[in-house]
Amino acid sequence: MKKLYFLMTALIVASLVLAACGGGGAAGGDVVKVGQVTDLGGIDDKSFNATAYAGIEKAVAELGVEGKYLESTQQSDYNKNIQQFIDEDTDLIVTVGFLLGVDTAVAAKANPETKFAIVDYAYPDCFGTDFVEGQTCGSATELPNVLGLTFATDQAAFLAGYAAAATTQTGKVATFGGINIPPVTIFMKGFEAGVKYYNAQKGTNVEVLGWSTEANDGSFTGNFESLDDGRSFAESFVQEGADIIMPVAGPVGLGSAAYCQETGSCKIVGVDTDWTVSASEYSDVILTSVMKNMNVAVFDTIKAVVDGTFKGGVYVGTLANGGMGLAEVSGASDELKAELEAIKQGIIDGSIPVQ
Amino acid sequence: MTNVLELRGITKRFPGVIANEKVDIALREGKILALLGENGAGKTTLMNILYGLYKPDEGQIFVRGREAHIHGPNDAIALGIGMVHQHFMLVPVMTVTENVMLGVEPTRNGMFLDKEKVSRRIREISDQYGLEVDPNAYIKDLPVGIQQRVEIIKVLYRQADILILDEPTAVLTPQEVEGLFKIINTLIKSGKSIIFITHKLKEVLAIADDITVLRLGKVVGSIDPKEATTEKLASMMVGRDVNLVVEKKPAKSGKPVLMVENLFVRDERQHMTVQGVSFEVREGEVLGVAGVQGNGQTELVYALTGLLPLEAGTIRLLNEPIRHTSPREILERGMAHIPEDRQRHGLILTFPVHDNLVLCTYYKEPFARGISLQEKAIFSNAGELVKQYDVRTPNIYVNVGTLSGGNQQKVIVAREFSRPIKLLIASQPTRGLDVGSIEYIHQQIIKKRDEGTGVLVVSSELDEILALSDRIAVMYKGQIMDILDADKTSKEELGLLMAGIHPSDNKKTK
Amino acid sequence: MSETATPSKQSNGGRSSLAQELLVPVLAVVTGLLIGAVVIIASGANVFDAYGALFTGSFGSPARLVEGLQVYFSTGETRELLRAIYPFTESLVTATPYIFAGLSVALGFRAGLFNIGAEGQFFIGALCSAFIGYSLKGLPMIVHLPLALLGGALGGAIWGMIPGYLKARFGAHEVVNTIMMNWIAFRLSDWLLNGPMKASGFRPVTPNVLASAELPRFFPDPLRFNLGFFIALLVAYLVYWFLFKTTTGFEIRSVGANPDAAKYAGMNIVKNLVLVMALAGGLAGMAGSAQVLGVDHWVGQGFSAGYGFDAIALALLGKSHPFGVVLSALLFGFLRSGATNMQSRAGIPIDIISIIQGLVIVFIAAPAIIRWFYRLRSIKTEETVLTRGWGK
Repeated sequence: MKKLYFLMTALIVASLVLAACGGGGAAGGDVVKVGQVTDLGGIDDKSFNATAYAGIEKAVAELGVEGKYLESTQQSDYNKNIQQFIDEDTDLIVTVGFLLGVDTAVAAKANPETKFAIVDYAYPDCFGTDFVEGQTCGSATELPNVLGLTFATDQAAFLAGYAAAATTQTGKVATFGGINIPPVTIFMKGFEAGVKYYNAQKGTNVEVLGWSTEANDGSFTGNFESLDDGRSFAESFVQEGADIIMPVAGPVGLGSAAYCQETGSCKIVGVDTDWTVSASEYSDVILTSVMKNMNVAVFDTIKAVVDGTFKGGVYVGTLANGGMGLAEVSGASDELKAELEAIKQGIIDGSIPVQ
Repeated sequence: MTNVLELRGITKRFPGVIANEKVDIALREGKILALLGENGAGKTTLMNILYGLYKPDEGQIFVRGREAHIHGPNDAIALGIGMVHQHFMLVPVMTVTENVMLGVEPTRNGMFLDKEKVSRRIREISDQYGLEVDPNAYIKDLPVGIQQRVEIIKVLYRQADILILDEPTAVLTPQEVEGLFKIINTLIKSGKSIIFITHKLKEVLAIADDITVLRLGKVVGSIDPKEATTEKLASMMVGRDVNLVVEKKPAKSGKPVLMVENLFVRDERQHMTVQGVSFEVREGEVLGVAGVQGNGQTELVYALTGLLPLEAGTIRLLNEPIRHTSPREILERGMAHIPEDRQRHGLILTFPVHDNLVLCTYYKEPFARGISLQEKAIFSNAGELVKQYDVRTPNIYVNVGTLSGGNQQKVIVAREFSRPIKLLIASQPTRGLDVGSIEYIHQQIIKKRDEGTGVLVVSSELDEILALSDRIAVMYKGQIMDILDADKTSKEELGLLMAGIHPSDNKKTK
Repeated sequence: MSETATPSKQSNGGRSSLAQELLVPVLAVVTGLLIGAVVIIASGANVFDAYGALFTGSFGSPARLVEGLQVYFSTGETRELLRAIYPFTESLVTATPYIFAGLSVALGFRAGLFNIGAEGQFFIGALCSAFIGYSLKGLPMIVHLPLALLGGALGGAIWGMIPGYLKARFGAHEVVNTIMMNWIAFRLSDWLLNGPMKASGFRPVTPNVLASAELPRFFPDPLRFNLGFFIALLVAYLVYWFLFKTTTGFEIRSVGANPDAAKYAGMNIVKNLVLVMALAGGLAGMAGSAQVLGVDHWVGQGFSAGYGFDAIALALLGKSHPFGVVLSALLFGFLRSGATNMQSRAGIPIDIISIIQGLVIVFIAAPAIIRWFYRLRSIKTEETVLTRGWGK
């Protein structure tokens, strides 16, 4: 027994000594270091965090940068994880999601040498109050080392609306959101506009349930978590006659997809990522997906850092720069494909307004 | 005459304590060896060694002349050793057959349980030894005495010929004890050998062929039952002369302290277990409540102490009615209570001795000032009571659960008697205690009586009732069969009343 | 620390037993780390790198500290020094809500109640404190801060009292009811963050609390070490005093250790159940308060990473003793906090910390494993079978 104790003690002491010597020895050199701080979804969320990290991985492979990530499991981790990367002299810190907005801004202000990119968010925004002492909430001039990565979601949602209108058997399509906030409703607006454009082009009367831009209101689950809500919303839309649904509520939509798969009564338009990949178990009921190509945005940002052209401000992902995209429409006719391609070009050159 | 089982020089140490020291015992073939000793004398440790639950530090075990190494119950069973535990190891919702099968399930074609076979075998065993057990009965429907026979069947089914019976009479009525003795005699006749563990002297004299007495882990001696007397055995067990008869003067009873009239009480399962009971307890007298356990005594006491509501009738303590009165108020009015289940109701085993001694008074001066506990007062109170009531404990800080049963009971007695009390209710006050502690607790109860306290003793031990009581009430099925003067009745009469039979020539006092 | 000796004396007769009481938890932690090491090796990483990073991440690097001190004494520049003590202070920051929440669960355990509701109480406490923190304007700190803290405690207390009352009045099991109250708290906070308590703008977060309601920090940004830690220690002492030195504490412990005997002794079970659940809720609420007033300053979705659930584990680890809880909370704080560095520098997933924590809990819950592994003599259990008469 004594021996065992001794062995253990020795082991612990050894590890501590090694720790003291080995710690803090981050490799120096001129390799560009990129770190991603996830939000609560974690790196395997098959959504924002995963897609953004795909951009970093691509940069690691193609640009020779060093890339890693830190997962946040709670609110107070945001700051801590950012500090960790600052401590390691990371060149570019990519934060994911608006919840990291405050901590990113505070850290960026305190560390002007470090570059930041925040996914799906742009300054100025203050959470309604001051968060930098005596300051406004940051802008390109205030925070010249932060790039906000945003997306013209309505462009791709417009295409999705058109595709849905062209595919529906019942003449009714539907959408619903998590909560009534601009980043959510912009999908719904684009979707509705796409349907209306189809009606105008084809002289049809496809109806949109769950959103009206005119009333600026629609159906919301009130959360981004409950799969049961997704299921019951889908069920009621199907009862009202819709056969294509675009849920803009994160994982809630998976509940809708499950309902469609079980009943065979509807199809789903995915959002943010390509759901035939991120929710592949439902790929048979996925019509298409409105994709924010965060990987493209992140990769482009890293490239700018490597090239020395990084500038703070706002990046807007569009159909034009590849930051937005519509996933392949399942079962689309060549005719529909051609139409979608033509509309895409129209949106890019501005001849078709999406709002 | 050969020894079928022999233990030689068995020593077992636990940290700080020697549980068995160089113990030699021998069991002759076809005989009954009584292993006698107080609680804590090392009987159970010894049997656990024999059954393979403990490994001895020193010594050897010989079974039928050959040294045996027993590493677990399976080894013991293979050697033909079977143990009937004091607390039965039966599954209540299963039948006798199923219980007997547990652990040795025979199968047909290697797959299907062969209940029939077991059931047949049980019937054979039952007939052979006069056990009268129905293999298809559910355990929960059987009286305790029969459950014990099921345990015996389990052992016999596994073909044991050395049986260890651990305190087998502790849970039985006098009549059931007689039944058990008959069975034991049948077993002996068919060649089994039995070790009978007990601390009840009269039983030993009645049944044993050999007696070995243990004290403090050592063998004090072996004695031929023909030469033994209860006094002799008691002094061997305790190490000094013991007065087995409670010395008491005639009662000087005064005003009634407790009056119960036409009381009805439901138990927690809503069964009306007390049905119209009336009696009174006077200052300076002991009223004994006799009866086989489960005839409403427990619920009667619960009602008196405020733990169960009254369904009907009245209880008056010092002429004040008790109805919807909180237990605390009843205590404050001068009732003291030694509960039937001391570990469940009387003590908090994981609390130190000093806290258990203020369990009912912790909130009063001098133990508390405002909400602040006064540790000094609590400690000094404990120091005094431990001395005064002879509680054997290393110090007042140890958890009461580490004390022996007798000392635990002394803690309760010390606590209850140190308050100013008018009525003492003592339920099974000496159950499971050793002779020395029984003597002490009995003396204390009589002392309280002589100070003018009214005492209600509830006990299923007739000897105890007879030793303590001035008057005796016998309960049967929730009713009082009769109330008799203690010096005008006999064990036989009480035994009949306990069984619900009125003897024709009863001597009523009321 | 002399204080810890007293309760252990009470529970296990004799001061020498303190070492014994600590033996199993300490060995459990060590064993947890050892098995964690095996997992790390299995995942192909270097154990020394990993645990080295864990150590520097939770305590800081000694070399850096020396360097920081040198810089400070030669130039008066504090930046390096602050960076050197950052990991240590951050560990204390992480430990703070653990202390409060652990005390909450421990208090419940002492009364024989299983408060699974600490997580919900945590949320309610945080929301109440945040509301008082941002909505009451123009108060001086001396008024505003205590008010915000008390508000959080009160909110949690109400949240805990409801299951306590349901148990006392109707016998509804507190495990079921506290879980139910958790869900109500989660949904309620969703609604509040999207509605009444939402800051201007579209994000479902509360406004920042005002500076007058913030727990003062001792160092400049980014060091978040604040007064909350010391309040937690003070509260731990108060809980200790309450449990072991007052009549009410005596009753609570009696009810927990043996409700039948407590009832027999005339104690009011119902009153104590409600009281304990309210106090436990208040403590968990204070965990949320301290977190929002001291660290985050605003509340958003995902405010807690399961502090209330980890609290169950650390109350077990701390043997439901307030000082044990403080020690286990520090352990969890250091592990959790150091894990970031381990994840980043050694590439070990943060989940390994959860594995180690889980293992520690298993070993605590089943001390026989530890005793067997280290061939410890099981002194307590053998005392039980000393056959002094009651062992059977």
